[in-house]
Amino acid sequence: MNLFFRKSIIAGTGLFLCIFLIVHLSANCILLLPEDISREMYNTYSTTLRESPLIKIVAYLLYASIFLHTAYAAIVTYQNRNAKPDRYAVNNAKENSSWTSQNMGLLGILVLLFIVVHLANFWARIKLGMGAEVAMDNSGNLDVYQVTYSLFQNPYYVAFYTILAIPLGMHLHHGLKSAFKTLGFHHKRGLKVLSKVSLIYAAVMSIGFGIIPVIVYFK
Amino acid sequence: MKVTLRIWRQEGPIDKGELKEYLVDDLTEDMSFLEALDHLNEQLVLKNEKVIAYEYDCREGICGQCGLFINGRAHGPHDHMTTCQLHMRSFADGDTITVEPWRAKAFPIVKDLIVDRSAFDRIIGQGAYISAKTGTAPEANSILISKEVSDKAMDAAACIGCGACVATCKNASAALFTSAKINHLNSLPQGKPESHHRALDMTKQMEKEGFGHCTFTGACEVECPEGISITNIAEMNARLIRAKVMN
Repeated sequence: MNLFFRKSIIAGTGLFLCIFLIVHLSANCILLLPEDISREMYNTYSTTLRESPLIKIVAYLLYASIFLHTAYAAIVTYQNRNAKPDRYAVNNAKENSSWTSQNMGLLGILVLLFIVVHLANFWARIKLGMGAEVAMDNSGNLDVYQVTYSLFQNPYYVAFYTILAIPLGMHLHHGLKSAFKTLGFHHKRGLKVLSKVSLIYAAVMSIGFGIIPVIVYFK
Repeated sequence: MKVTLRIWRQEGPIDKGELKEYLVDDLTEDMSFLEALDHLNEQLVLKNEKVIAYEYDCREGICGQCGLFINGRAHGPHDHMTTCQLHMRSFADGDTITVEPWRAKAFPIVKDLIVDRSAFDRIIGQGAYISAKTGTAPEANSILISKEVSDKAMDAAACIGCGACVATCKNASAALFTSAKINHLNSLPQGKPESHHRALDMTKQMEKEGFGHCTFTGACEVECPEGISITNIAEMNARLIRAKVMN
C-alpha cells in the first residue's frame, strides 16, 4: 500500500498544481491586452488575490502541494534507484517508451528551478518585500504589472521563462495522464481521451507560459 | 553467419560479473537465439571452458522461463516476444549482440544470465489463488460470466511470469505482473471472496520484495510477450482504493 500511497500523493498534488496552472495562465492572458487596460486589470486582480482569505488558504495548499510533490518524488526516485541498483550496459529504452516518461525526475528538477526563479522574481518581491520597492499605480494598487513588464524587458529572463516552458509542458504531458492512472482511472476509451487531453493541456500550458514573456518583451 | 556475443559472465550471486566477448561462427538465420547460445556452449565445452548458464524450458513462448536482455531490450529487439521465439534472422551477419541478465534488486543473479525470480512466487503466494472447491470440473453453465469479463480475465491470465516487465522498467516495478494476477482473479466471480485481501496482500508483498514504483513509462506493456496492457495497473490501483475503503 505504501508504494501506492506515495505515488498517490504525487498524483494528487500534481493534479492540484495542474488546476492551479489553468488559473495562473488565464490571469497571465490579461498581459496580452493593450497596456492601459491590462495594467489596471492586472493590478486589481493581484490585489484581490492578496486580500482574499480564500486565496490565502489556496496559497497554503499550493505551497504544501509543491513541497509534498517534490519531497515524495525525491523519495520515490531514491527508492526506485535502490530497486534497480545495477544498470544495463546497453539499454534501448527509447524503443519502448517516451524520453519524457523515462526522465520525469530531470524534467521535474527543471520545473522546480523555474518555480524558484519565478518566486524570487515575483513572490519574494511583492509578498515578502524583498528587493526594490514596488510602486503604486494610479488606483492605489501595487503596480505588479510594472514588475512583470520590467522583468520581461530583460532578454535573458525572457529566454529563461520561454525555454523552461518546454520541460514544463513535457512534465505536464506525462504527469497529467499518469496521475489519473495512479489514482485508479482505468476506463479504456476514457484513457484514450485522457491521453489526447493531456497532450492538448500540456501544449496550451507550454506555449501559453512560454510565449507571454516574448509578447510582453515586444509590447 | 558470424556474430560477436558480449555476454554477462558471473560465477555466483556475490561474485563480480563482467561482459565477455565470444566470436560465434557457423550460425544460420533460421537458428533461434537460444540455439545460437547452445552452439556457443558446445564450442566452450570443446575448449574445456565453463558453459554459459541461461534458463529455458518450452522454447514455444509459453512457459516464461527464458528471459534475456538482448541489445538493450527485454527478450530482444521485437515487441511482445519471448527470448526463445527470437531468431538469428533478426540480426545481421557481423553484428555484436550484448546479452545481459534481468537487472533488479528483487531478481538477484544466480549465475551468468540466470536470475532468481522467486519473488514472483512469493507475490503469488499472497493471494493469486481462489478458495473454490476442487474436484471434478463443475457444470460450465452453473456460474454465468459475460464475454467481456471472461475476455478481460483471460487477457490478464495470459501473463507467463517471465519478468520482462520488471527487467525493462527503469524502476524495477512489478506492477504489471502483480496487477495481471490480481485482475485475472478479481474480475471473475470465483475470485470475489478474497478480492480485497488479494489486492492488499499481493501489493504489500510486491513492496516487501524490493520492487520499485510504477511511473507509467509504458515500457512493460511493449516488452510483455503477452501484450498485457498497463491499464491493468490503473485497474489494480482502483481495486486497492476499494479494498482499503472496504477494509
